[in-house]
Amino acid sequence: MTHEEFESLAALDALGVATGDEAAALRGHLGGCFTCRRARDEYGEAATLLALELTPIAPPAWLRARTSAEIAPDFAASRRNGWWLAAAASLLVVTLGWREREVRLSRARETEQRAILAQLEHENARLSSELTALGSSTTRTIALAGQEIAPAASAKVFLQADRRRALVFFHDLPANPGDKSYQLWIIRADQPAPMSAGVFDVTKDGKASISIDNLPIATEIKALAVTLETRGGVKQPTNTTFYVAGSAGL
Amino acid sequence: METSLTAAGLLPAVAKGNVAAFEELYDRYASTIYALLLRILSNADDAQEVLQETFVKAWTSAKMFDAVRGSEVAWLISIARSRGIDRLRSRKIRNEREDEAGRDVSVRTSFSDTTTGADLAIQSQERKAVRSALAQLPEAQRVALELAYFEGLSQTEIATRLSEPLGTIKTRMQLGMKKLRDHLQTFQ
Repeated sequence: MTHEEFESLAALDALGVATGDEAAALRGHLGGCFTCRRARDEYGEAATLLALELTPIAPPAWLRARTSAEIAPDFAASRRNGWWLAAAASLLVVTLGWREREVRLSRARETEQRAILAQLEHENARLSSELTALGSSTTRTIALAGQEIAPAASAKVFLQADRRRALVFFHDLPANPGDKSYQLWIIRADQPAPMSAGVFDVTKDGKASISIDNLPIATEIKALAVTLETRGGVKQPTNTTFYVAGSAGL
Repeated sequence: METSLTAAGLLPAVAKGNVAAFEELYDRYASTIYALLLRILSNADDAQEVLQETFVKAWTSAKMFDAVRGSEVAWLISIARSRGIDRLRSRKIRNEREDEAGRDVSVRTSFSDTTTGADLAIQSQERKAVRSALAQLPEAQRVALELAYFEGLSQTEIATRLSEPLGTIKTRMQLGMKKLRDHLQTFQ
């Protein structure tokens, strides 16, 4: 195998799709080839671009505290290395405690405010993008009507074929029981089995919305329908009691 | 504890047990990694658990980080992605009922009402550059890369999913990765 071939394997390996044999061959080669080892590292770095493209989403604030608490025993253990270290730490706490506390509180407030601001900016950008997309001349609208079990319900699908995504807004659906989820199904022209487009819960006022990404390309969508399923969703619908449904007419 | 930690210096400091460095690392990258895990897992509870595992792993394994081989964020993302895909696979095995949605589509609900927290780790300017680079990939290459990276599918599974010959899929992924690598070199 040539260096070029090993470099191609390195690309697949960095993506996590090299087969067992390919990965083994590559490992054997990398041990003695600086050039290919470097290529593998560079491909590993390149793969992370896929993650860096995503818009960051702030995790819940409590998760930071929980994560810090999990590593805290290590921190505490390191402090137990000598009694004098503990004494010094105590002295430090006595002399600087209040000041440190004030600084920490101030930093926490600042961090929280910055996080809220970032979150609001992120939301603002997201909503602006959604509004622009919804108003685009290329966006197609599909109406889903309430069926026998929920005649007052309705939904509107805003399909952005060029971006392979859709936004769906539901209205006046009855609240789903806690052990059930609503599930949206896409009926494709190229396969008889419905394809799940996601699960959702309904708010008290009967509203819900979901965003569907990575819609299948070059596939005709015949219809969409919603069923009530076991919480978390199922692979295929277990019933034909549709809450809302409609033909895509595409 | 006074810290003067630079972007390049966090993991070495973490490896020495510097808790302030660890917290700064978390503040800098948690949002980026959480977004990745939500993309992979489509479930906030799972994403939060794996996010915590990722940073605990970073704390215990920081000494393994080699700056010559890659960046700090790439190292963290690699840990998170690997654990996220492991979680995704075990979830599929554990609960066949769970909606894996044929993984043809990914569903993103709004998590904004439940999230507060850390700084945006990657500046918007840099993200624009990344998006610009990825936008230049042909759609077919991009789809193949995303199925592998975010859904952990094998070459064969991707070929089946897209109804394309295995060789075609392999070539697409290799070409796509090469372009990403070339772009990366232009960033640097």
